[in-house]
Amino acid sequence: MARVARSRLRRWAVALVSGCIVLAAAGLAWIVHLDHVVTREFQGRHWSIPAHVYAAPLELYVGAPISANDLEEELRRLHYHSGDPVARPGVYRRRGGSFDLYARRVRFIDEQREPQLVSIGADANSIVRLAKADGAPKADGAAKAKAEGEELPVFRLDPPVIGSVFPIHGEDRLVLSPDDVPALLRSGIKLIEDRRFDEHHGVDAHGIVRALWANLRAGRVVQGGSTLTQQLVKNYFLSDEQSFGRKATEAVMALRLEAHFSKEEILVAYLNEVYLGQDGSRAIHGFGLGSEYYFAKPLAELDVGELALLIGLVKGPSYYDPRKHADRARARRNLVLQELEQARLIDTAAAARAAATPLGLRPPGGSYVPAYLDLVRRHLKRDYAEADLAAAGLAVYTSLDLRAQAAAERAVTMNLKRLDAAGRVRGGHLEGAVIVAEPNSGDVVAVVGGRDVGADGFNRALDARRPIGSLVKPAIYLAALETGRYNAATVIEDAPIELKLSDGSIWAPQNFEHQVYGRVPMARALAESMNLATVRLGLDIGLPKVAETLQRLGLETPATLNPSLLLGTVEMTPLEVVQVYTSLANGGYRARLRAVLAVLDEQGRPLKSFKVQIEEAAPPAAVYQLDRMLTLVTTRGTGRDAAARLPRGTVVAGKTGTSSDTRDSWFAGFTGSYVSVAWVGYDDNRVTGLTGAMGALPVWADTLAKLRSASFEPVPPEQVEDRWIGFGDGLETSPACSTDAVAVSVPKDTALPAKPGCGPSSSTGTSPSNTMGDKIKEWLKHIVH
Amino acid sequence: MAQAYRSLTTLAAALGAAILVSGCPAPSRRPEPPANPTTGPQSSEPVTPGSPAPSPPPRAPSAPRENHLSPATRSLVTQSRTLASRGDLDGASSTLDRALRIEPNNPLLWIELGRLRLAESDAHQAESCGRKALALASGDRGTQAQAGRLLADALRAQGRNQEAIEIERQPFMR
Repeated sequence: MARVARSRLRRWAVALVSGCIVLAAAGLAWIVHLDHVVTREFQGRHWSIPAHVYAAPLELYVGAPISANDLEEELRRLHYHSGDPVARPGVYRRRGGSFDLYARRVRFIDEQREPQLVSIGADANSIVRLAKADGAPKADGAAKAKAEGEELPVFRLDPPVIGSVFPIHGEDRLVLSPDDVPALLRSGIKLIEDRRFDEHHGVDAHGIVRALWANLRAGRVVQGGSTLTQQLVKNYFLSDEQSFGRKATEAVMALRLEAHFSKEEILVAYLNEVYLGQDGSRAIHGFGLGSEYYFAKPLAELDVGELALLIGLVKGPSYYDPRKHADRARARRNLVLQELEQARLIDTAAAARAAATPLGLRPPGGSYVPAYLDLVRRHLKRDYAEADLAAAGLAVYTSLDLRAQAAAERAVTMNLKRLDAAGRVRGGHLEGAVIVAEPNSGDVVAVVGGRDVGADGFNRALDARRPIGSLVKPAIYLAALETGRYNAATVIEDAPIELKLSDGSIWAPQNFEHQVYGRVPMARALAESMNLATVRLGLDIGLPKVAETLQRLGLETPATLNPSLLLGTVEMTPLEVVQVYTSLANGGYRARLRAVLAVLDEQGRPLKSFKVQIEEAAPPAAVYQLDRMLTLVTTRGTGRDAAARLPRGTVVAGKTGTSSDTRDSWFAGFTGSYVSVAWVGYDDNRVTGLTGAMGALPVWADTLAKLRSASFEPVPPEQVEDRWIGFGDGLETSPACSTDAVAVSVPKDTALPAKPGCGPSSSTGTSPSNTMGDKIKEWLKHIVH
Repeated sequence: MAQAYRSLTTLAAALGAAILVSGCPAPSRRPEPPANPTTGPQSSEPVTPGSPAPSPPPRAPSAPRENHLSPATRSLVTQSRTLASRGDLDGASSTLDRALRIEPNNPLLWIELGRLRLAESDAHQAESCGRKALALASGDRGTQAQAGRLLADALRAQGRNQEAIEIERQPFMR
């Protein structure tokens, strides 16, 4: 019996001891694991600093089309503040058209610029003067004198920050380095959140006892005993759940963190990590972003009261939300000021002054451009692993032009509102998309993905794949010009046609309003978007040739060789359309679209740059002839409404597109500076009742009207020349002879049938080249003058 | 490679000197066209033929022109060359991008970019730049010749000597 009991006891003891050993080992393994997690995550700073994304900086040079008001607006957008004297970076002074600007230190793709004083003159249209106003702040006297008034051929403003890519859990932050942390923030945050930060080892026994005591006396939780280190651990590594297990994990991790890293590293990480508010789905983390979000300026430029408000927010960003609960926020700020004063971190006068000032909130600066960021993200994805982008605090430089973006956004929202009000369809809202690019470089400067321009969600500019309707026609006419058998004056037949398709059915296309125009010159058939003439032309050229032309211009997925391709049943996204039209706007050179110009690592070293890439997609002379026909679309054809919306005299080229039963309204075209496409339609593909000219064209034209773009005036290739033809009959004529004379470009020495009694020889001084010659003489005289 | 680059930069410098010297403050574009009078009441598609809207102003081919750089783009080209001479070809390229954003249709900038692409051993892109520059230089013999030399170099770098010789036989190269 006893032996049995003893052996049972022994067995128990063995089990207990081995259990303890297993537990201890497990505990140790757990600690080692946490230690590993802490060091790995923290060391490489592999938590979640997303890549920081910048829009293109505004380039200033004499003649740049930037008015004094534009300039001031841009300075405000960049959070420059008006002040006198202009004593530190971030301040400017304006007197009429004259600006003194103290530009901040900025990292660009190709250089790091130190703070610099510049003097800028601008009038109502453009920049008229640009000079260095002073040396760098630390320059000695001699250097200063030398720099005084020195001409500055070109100067760029700061690249505006537009957000972060791959913000994990919707987080967004502006990462501070130790040098960026103001001394008052450093001591203030310790004072308010963790007085014994410099003494403890991650967990503060005194603090816990004090908190426990306070909580017991109050009968509820009024104080947390968490150190800054624990708060940091909690934010980095742990969920929000309140449990003993989590508390223990937090404590162990905090201790391990302190064992491996300096107080300085932990404090800076804390300041970068701490949660300070919520902007819709975007969480505001870190004092850098907090400063931008609440005060629209960098942390270094905050005054005492503003810093105190941010420090106070840590305790409860939603409870003390200064935008929603100004009184609570003010009381909290003043309490922090009082504490700072008692700790002699600020003097009494400063505390009193700060307590008496308003909160100083500003609307969050910069714009949130989700549709553009979406494109940036996709372009980056082609070249990077997602984890790399989330990790290292990269700087991504993009070609976004915030002014173009604002213009496109306004054009979409205003026009859709108007069209909805005019409503042909009851219920539901029209949607729209716009993309604007610079055709020579392929730089995408604006993307609007829907009418709710500030919202994430379905990005129609990149993802709405719709039939392009007549937007396909320029590819057909280009293919025809390339054969050499056709030119703008060639008469083609707009007459009914029936085709037996491969499935045995009969296809009988119609013109938009079921008319038949008969014999028309090619230039008019394109300008007025005649379907029958185009189908006949396309069939003569051959479907394979048309599809191949589209592909050369930039269509990635090959089009199906069905005759209805000729009327644009091919489906494309606005992004694909803009790629195709870029080749037309760029003299036949396809420029690969790019949103990302370069990516720099945290130290400012280039990781990758995306260079301008151009390929000849079509013979430049054929493209030139086509482009000149496309200018007739906007003067004589379906795109005529554009003129009224654009600055007087601006020459633009473009094409309307309407898919079957007006489900999709398109306009694609270009000026001398930009290529752009606009789409309007319903998400559920309902009939809109809008042609391309009624829906998309106003959006397109309003966007480009705001951009002060140059007229489309490509350099004529040497193989072509201008001739006058009758728009109605295609016969060679002169303006004196025919009221409908239009100038077209045709290969040199093309034999054109002349209108009886007209033709170039019968009139003097009115043939295109003579007119132009006179203008050039006049111009030369002007220059010599 | 390094030697090739050195000879290229020498070439580019010589070429650049020519560009810088030829720079004068006159505008490089043709004059603004006269304003189009706005059209009358406008309908959507389709339109009736013979509507009174005027056609765009006609233009003459091969009008004598001379391309040059503005002070802003000239200073950027100089900066770009400084970066290239230090071996920072990416930086040089980014700086040229800035110049192209200011004067996208200036063939001299495309020639400069093509030279840089050659230095980067990207003869294919150099060829595209050369062809584009040649198209933009239409009517400007001096610039056409520079573009032609770039194009010939880019073709030779790809082993397409016969095509290079054909370019060099073009009238504008003489």
